[in-house]
Amino acid sequence: MHLTGTILLFWATGLAAHGLLLVVLCTRHRAKTFPIFTALIATNIVNAIALYEIALHGTKHSYFIAYFSFAVLDLALQLSVTYELASDTFCPTGTWAPDVRKGFLILVLASIVIAAILACLPAPPERILLGTLLDRGSLFSSALQCELLVGMLAFSATASLPWKTHVARIAQGLGFFSLISLLTEAGHSVVARNTVAFESLTYVRMTTYLLCASYWIVMLWLEAPAPKELPEETRRQLFTLQRRVEYDLRKLRALKR
Amino acid sequence: MITIRSVYFFVFVAIFIVSILAVGTFFYLRYQRRQRYPYGKWENLLSRLGTLDRNNIACIAQGFLDRNDERSGDEQDLDPDRIWHLLGGMEGLEIVERNCAVLVDLVFYVQQWYPEALLVAEQLRQNAREVEWHIERLRGAAKRGRLKTAIPDYLEQAVAIYYRMTQEVIALYRQGDLPGLADLQRSL
Repeated sequence: MHLTGTILLFWATGLAAHGLLLVVLCTRHRAKTFPIFTALIATNIVNAIALYEIALHGTKHSYFIAYFSFAVLDLALQLSVTYELASDTFCPTGTWAPDVRKGFLILVLASIVIAAILACLPAPPERILLGTLLDRGSLFSSALQCELLVGMLAFSATASLPWKTHVARIAQGLGFFSLISLLTEAGHSVVARNTVAFESLTYVRMTTYLLCASYWIVMLWLEAPAPKELPEETRRQLFTLQRRVEYDLRKLRALKR
Repeated sequence: MITIRSVYFFVFVAIFIVSILAVGTFFYLRYQRRQRYPYGKWENLLSRLGTLDRNNIACIAQGFLDRNDERSGDEQDLDPDRIWHLLGGMEGLEIVERNCAVLVDLVFYVQQWYPEALLVAEQLRQNAREVEWHIERLRGAAKRGRLKTAIPDYLEQAVAIYYRMTQEVIALYRQGDLPGLADLQRSL
């Protein structure tokens, strides 16, 4: 196997973008806040290098196996990133907001069912089992990501839980990429491999990903706006309220005994 | 080749994408509005206030307060039927309950200029709870067919607290020389 000019260009640009994004994540200390997202980007770098090596020196079958394994890993990491963003928004103090926890579980289950139905609907022209699995899996993953991110937006708007700047930027990039992926994967599900239409859809998907990676590089490089300081009066009121709650709690515990 | 299954699939994908975009846009706009107006919009707050005859409310409340102050022992108490009629029946009672929540929000709205208004908001929240408690008792009495006997015990108190709440909110807006005082006086 060998890489053609356009694919090689996408491969090199993608690797450079991922490298740059990883540098930004590490040097701007975002890796500590988003360890799973950092792991996803690092995995993508390993993925790009490993697949390039296998494409040059390995067989077509070994390339397919490696591609499939990395795709599964990518799906798992992307879902974990969604969880990372959700936990950052919905449990800022370490405990999930009680009015969100149950709803979020229902959202996850419903999203899985809808995405699975969507992925089962088309009849991919792919003859190999691994290829069919890949097509259906990609469609499933894109649909699931879209549903989860929109669901998270709905919950945060309903429960008035704000998105932190960097969390919102990662989610926006991921959401946009998932939506375009859904369209391209829908096309991939009905178009035969190694055709011009199939490759064009792949290029659209890759270009979108490169745009999102560039967006993340810029947004994660920039600092989030500094939070406003509480006025002294409010700070004193909060302190008094905290003392009163502590006192009431002690009284309640004493009554319980 | 396009099969009937592919057509179904694309229809499903189209519905899916349109739904995702519609839901996403709706909640994104809602989220943005909340970010822009964390204290709500003044017009929306006022539009939530139900209409009650302020003279009737003042009359019921004054009767109750005077009796409690024992300043007007010679004045005749209002008849329960008359009080019920003045308030506007069960509908009026529900408006009182809903308006209490709006009054708390109106004071919360003031916090964007005066954070100290937090204390007034908390006081009104407690008053609103009291009104709610009295109204619950009245509903229970109405279910058991004992509304007439419950009116002097609960309804007058609930209306008196509500009346005091409206006066406190107006006083707060007047003292702070806040915009919207005229609208508020008209609505309450």
